[in-house]
Amino acid sequence: MEDVQVTAMLVRRCIAGDAAAWEEIVQNYNRRIYNICYRFAGSANDAEDLTQEVFIKMYRTLASYDSSKGAFVTWVTTITRNLLVDHFRKTKQDRLTDSLDAPVSAQEDAQPLSEQIHDQSAPPDSRVRSREASEAVHAALGKLSPELREAVILRDLQDFDYREIATVLKVPEGTVKSRINRGRAELARLLQRTYRQVM
Amino acid sequence: MPDHTKNDLTSNGMQCQEFDNLLSDALDGAVSGLQLDRFHAHARSCSACGPLLAEVEAGRNWLKDLTEVEPPAGLVNNILASTTGVDTQRLRLNVGAPARVSSAGPSWWERAQAWASDALQPVWGTVRQPRFAMSFGMAFFSISVALSVLGVKNTDLRQLSLRPTAIRHTYYNTQARVVRYYDNIKLVYEVQAAVRELKRNVTPAEPAPGESAPDKKEHKNDTTQQPEQKQERNYSQRDTNVILANAPLGPSVFDPSNPDLPVVSVTTYRRFV
Repeated sequence: MEDVQVTAMLVRRCIAGDAAAWEEIVQNYNRRIYNICYRFAGSANDAEDLTQEVFIKMYRTLASYDSSKGAFVTWVTTITRNLLVDHFRKTKQDRLTDSLDAPVSAQEDAQPLSEQIHDQSAPPDSRVRSREASEAVHAALGKLSPELREAVILRDLQDFDYREIATVLKVPEGTVKSRINRGRAELARLLQRTYRQVM
Repeated sequence: MPDHTKNDLTSNGMQCQEFDNLLSDALDGAVSGLQLDRFHAHARSCSACGPLLAEVEAGRNWLKDLTEVEPPAGLVNNILASTTGVDTQRLRLNVGAPARVSSAGPSWWERAQAWASDALQPVWGTVRQPRFAMSFGMAFFSISVALSVLGVKNTDLRQLSLRPTAIRHTYYNTQARVVRYYDNIKLVYEVQAAVRELKRNVTPAEPAPGESAPDKKEHKNDTTQQPEQKQERNYSQRDTNVILANAPLGPSVFDPSNPDLPVVSVTTYRRFV
């Protein structure tokens, strides 16, 4: 949990033109923002570009941050989420075109994730810690709808509480909980199907 | 979401809707006591909610195992370069040494450039609008035309010396030229006035040309369309008008050498016909 006072001071220094304060903010938040972008976009290159865009937007709108309205991390995550949604909308047409060009066997109903799992000897255990398992989970995450994906990323990967997620996503807490449960269940079904295929 | 009716009741009295609402909190450990017992009892007895609980729990466990990824090495430097405007090329070369880059910071020239850019951005943005560009174009054209009409040439401007002594010299020259011009004009006026006076003295006196003018003017304004009546006719029309005439008799009515001679003055009443 961030120290609100320290962060507010950091932001004030940054607005006043202190380059060191801005660098500290970048150092503190780049890892979190990059991970959110990477898990949502699915690609390291896209995540790097998106993270830069987030910080550029943050730098331009830093003066609009009001510490009385919420934590700085919530504000930062809201900016990130909005940019990710924009990115998703922009690339939607590209993804549709790609899926039309893709072979039939690569579609979800045929063999959804088996092509991405190279080591078929990996055990389909719920506590798999191997790299391949992480890649499988990451790929399954990309198959979720954006609404479910962002909810489970914020809850299970970024440890936000329901109130913060509701603030970021601008939906009621009940909706947040429902989306998280549906996202988790959908993810489990996708992974079960995957391991059923590779076994 | 499993295909089940949300209002289904199980033996412990919990509805599926209530189970859904408690699901997240139960997994987070925020439900306890009797409510937790009812929750688990519903999960065991409900054919839809039981598998749902298992899937949600499995999904959460999968996600728990997902570790954080490491950002690229040059990400921070790229962010700083794209936000604070520090020389990108220099930062790209120093990707492996972020501490050096952050401690170096932008030079005073870069800061001045950034400050000037920020300060001039709103003005420059306004000036770049087509209507302002058109106005400036017209103003420039007008000034060019005015200068060419006044006889100012580029060569004159090029030869213009801006040294203080040269400027002072030009100032005194201009002042002397103006004074000389004024004096010349004064002399010309004085000569003209003297010539006019001389002419007036040499030329014999003439009746004032404007003496009969008022009558003409009066007639000019006559719009009655009546024939002009002459003075004599006017007199003859009125018999009662008596003209008193007093004329001297003889060539010398009064001789100073003979003061005894009576002086006779004849007064006649005569009627003009």
